[in-house]
Amino acid sequence: MKKVLEVILLLLLLVVTHAKGTRYSPPGKPALTRCRSPEKETFTCWWEPGSDGGLPTTYALYYRKESSDTVFECPDYRTAGENSCFFNKNDTSIWVNYNITVVATNALGRTFSDPVDIDVVYIVKPNPPEQVAVTVMEDKGWPFIRVSWEPPHKADTRSGWITLIYEIRVKLEEENDWEMHLAGQQKMFNIFSLRSGGKYLVQVRCKPDHGYWSEWSPSSYVKVPDYFHREKSVWILITVFCAFIFLILTWLLHMNSRSLKHFLLPPVPGPKIKGFDKQLLKNGKSEEVFSALVATDFPPKSSNYEDLLVEYLEVYIPEEQELMLEKSMDLDVGCLKCEGSASDSDSGRGSCDSHTLLMHKCDGVKEEEERQAKEAHGPGYWECGLSNKQPHLLHPQAQAQRQLQARSDDNISSIGRKQTPAGLHSPARRSTEYVEVERVNEEDMVLLQPVSGRCGDVEGYPEMPYGEDYSKVKGVDMDNMLLLQREVREETENCDTSSTVTTTQKPAACIHSAMPVEGEMVLGVNGYVDTATVCTPPTY
Amino acid sequence: SWSLFFLVSVVWVVLVCLLFCSRLLSVGAAPICTNAQAGCHALSLANLFDRVIQHSARMHGISNDLHSEFEQYFLPSKNQIGRVSRNCHTSTIFTPNGKENAQRMARQELTEVILKLLVAWRDPLWHFHQSIAHHHDFNNFSANKALEMSDMVHELRKGVEKVAEKMQMMGIISNSVSSLASPEALLPSDSAEWRLMKDYDLLYCFRRDSNKVQNYLKILKCRIVPEHGC
Repeated sequence: MKKVLEVILLLLLLVVTHAKGTRYSPPGKPALTRCRSPEKETFTCWWEPGSDGGLPTTYALYYRKESSDTVFECPDYRTAGENSCFFNKNDTSIWVNYNITVVATNALGRTFSDPVDIDVVYIVKPNPPEQVAVTVMEDKGWPFIRVSWEPPHKADTRSGWITLIYEIRVKLEEENDWEMHLAGQQKMFNIFSLRSGGKYLVQVRCKPDHGYWSEWSPSSYVKVPDYFHREKSVWILITVFCAFIFLILTWLLHMNSRSLKHFLLPPVPGPKIKGFDKQLLKNGKSEEVFSALVATDFPPKSSNYEDLLVEYLEVYIPEEQELMLEKSMDLDVGCLKCEGSASDSDSGRGSCDSHTLLMHKCDGVKEEEERQAKEAHGPGYWECGLSNKQPHLLHPQAQAQRQLQARSDDNISSIGRKQTPAGLHSPARRSTEYVEVERVNEEDMVLLQPVSGRCGDVEGYPEMPYGEDYSKVKGVDMDNMLLLQREVREETENCDTSSTVTTTQKPAACIHSAMPVEGEMVLGVNGYVDTATVCTPPTY
Repeated sequence: SWSLFFLVSVVWVVLVCLLFCSRLLSVGAAPICTNAQAGCHALSLANLFDRVIQHSARMHGISNDLHSEFEQYFLPSKNQIGRVSRNCHTSTIFTPNGKENAQRMARQELTEVILKLLVAWRDPLWHFHQSIAHHHDFNNFSANKALEMSDMVHELRKGVEKVAEKMQMMGIISNSVSSLASPEALLPSDSAEWRLMKDYDLLYCFRRDSNKVQNYLKILKCRIVPEHGC
């Protein structure tokens, strides 16, 4: 009866509204949004209503239990709020499949939602943990936070019905990133590595074995005390100490940098030849290098020149005995040295200090010595002649003509001495022309041979270095005096025109005042006999 | 010298292996004591319970994973009507469906229920694994999981039996549980019912039953030895 009345009213409404121009429709399809159980003993389902179609719509929830066809309606629509259905303990069965449907009904019809199958075991979402307590504790001077909590009071973990696992999150008040910690089943957790003086927020949540996470518990605030000063002072000390050590090391290194460098990179020894210039070797030709070696003082032209000579002849001696003695002395020395050398390889030089000369001198003087020893005062003849070993020098025919006979006897020296004793001290001049002893002839005469390139016929003959200190023997006059020439750089013709041995005429250019003193001096000095006339071509 | 070196290394390897193996064997050789005999490790009841509970948790985890995989492949919609076409074959076993019911149940009964469940699933899981292995839609990973699950049921049953023994020994439960020694007696007459179930249904049922086992064991533990983790 009532229902008929309701239908009539609805129809009237429809007519009226239709007359006004509005449309009505059956309700839209509702949808079950979710079903949740907080403790695995009860559960609640919520739905979302569809359009109501303009008419008042009622919703009803129906469910069926597993493998049973009995349909039940929701026992409690209010406890859980609007559009919800609450199943209490009596109506809740665990491990049972519920098939739930929501129906929307209005005047024009009813609409069923899609059914949902649930098993309460898998829809558990507990309440957040309760009694969250956060305290600051100290571990050997370093603070940490201890968080403790209790499970939600509804969830029965004591009997083992539910097993919950917990999660904590922490962050500084002013930051946005949370630090998550999984705590397992324990109800207490420690958080370390805190910023000194920081203010932290702590939250906890829980979850059953298979289910949903609870909401986060309300934030708990905690302030960490300041321990920064202690930390800082330690670091400052360490830094200062390290800087100090570093400075010391640097200073030590600087002090010993050289020795360290030598230790690490030992210097490469360079050549240590005196007078050797590395730069020349790098840059230039070897000739320059070697000439540099040669250039300085080799061969030394010092007063020790005569030391280089293996032997030399000293012609002048004030007394005969002295002469002989000296000669003998020098000769011994000289002869010893002579014997060693057999060949004469000084081509073109033919100096009086060549080996041949020396040898001949040796022999000659030996013989002379012998003679002198025998005769004591016998005159010694010298002959300047051409050396056999230098065949290019002069025509053999000329040899004979050129032979000079130089006599040496004590008269010369004595004469020389009488005349110009002062001349003894005049110096410095050396013979500019060398004479080479060619041989000693059968008359015990030393045959000398000129050396200079002034000889016209001598070709390929290198120029002798003519110093002003050399003097050439021009000739021996009838007074048994050696005539010396000074100027040697003049034309050879001039010199050639010099008189022969027996003449005393001397060409102006080539002549200087013949001073037996000079000759004597020169001879005294180095014992060379220069005979300029020897070199003259056979023009006479 | 090479041959000598080789020989020495081989000898060394053999020695190491022997040492290792002896260590392993020595660990396994220690028998579980029944009467607190001297010279063997006596595990406490709490310890035994923990081990068994961990084992059951792992078993349930595997079944959950497999179930999810099944749902992905075969059932795109979770809310299909009549998803479980049949009842689980273990529905004949009376299992408490709520906390009060479970707490009201005696320890002995509860232990029996657990054992019944585990026994009932031994054969079906083996066949489930076989069918999975031959199914082309599943990869080896799923087949391995199924096999592991099957083994675990077997192991878990042994473990629960040990726990029951211990409890009997301690006088916590009466000796009537010894009737479980012959598991075949527990099987219902229509034990072949599970053969008619589809793979998915089997998995669904087992997932639930493994959860039950785990929960019941926890309840037992917190009731008998509540010291740790209750």
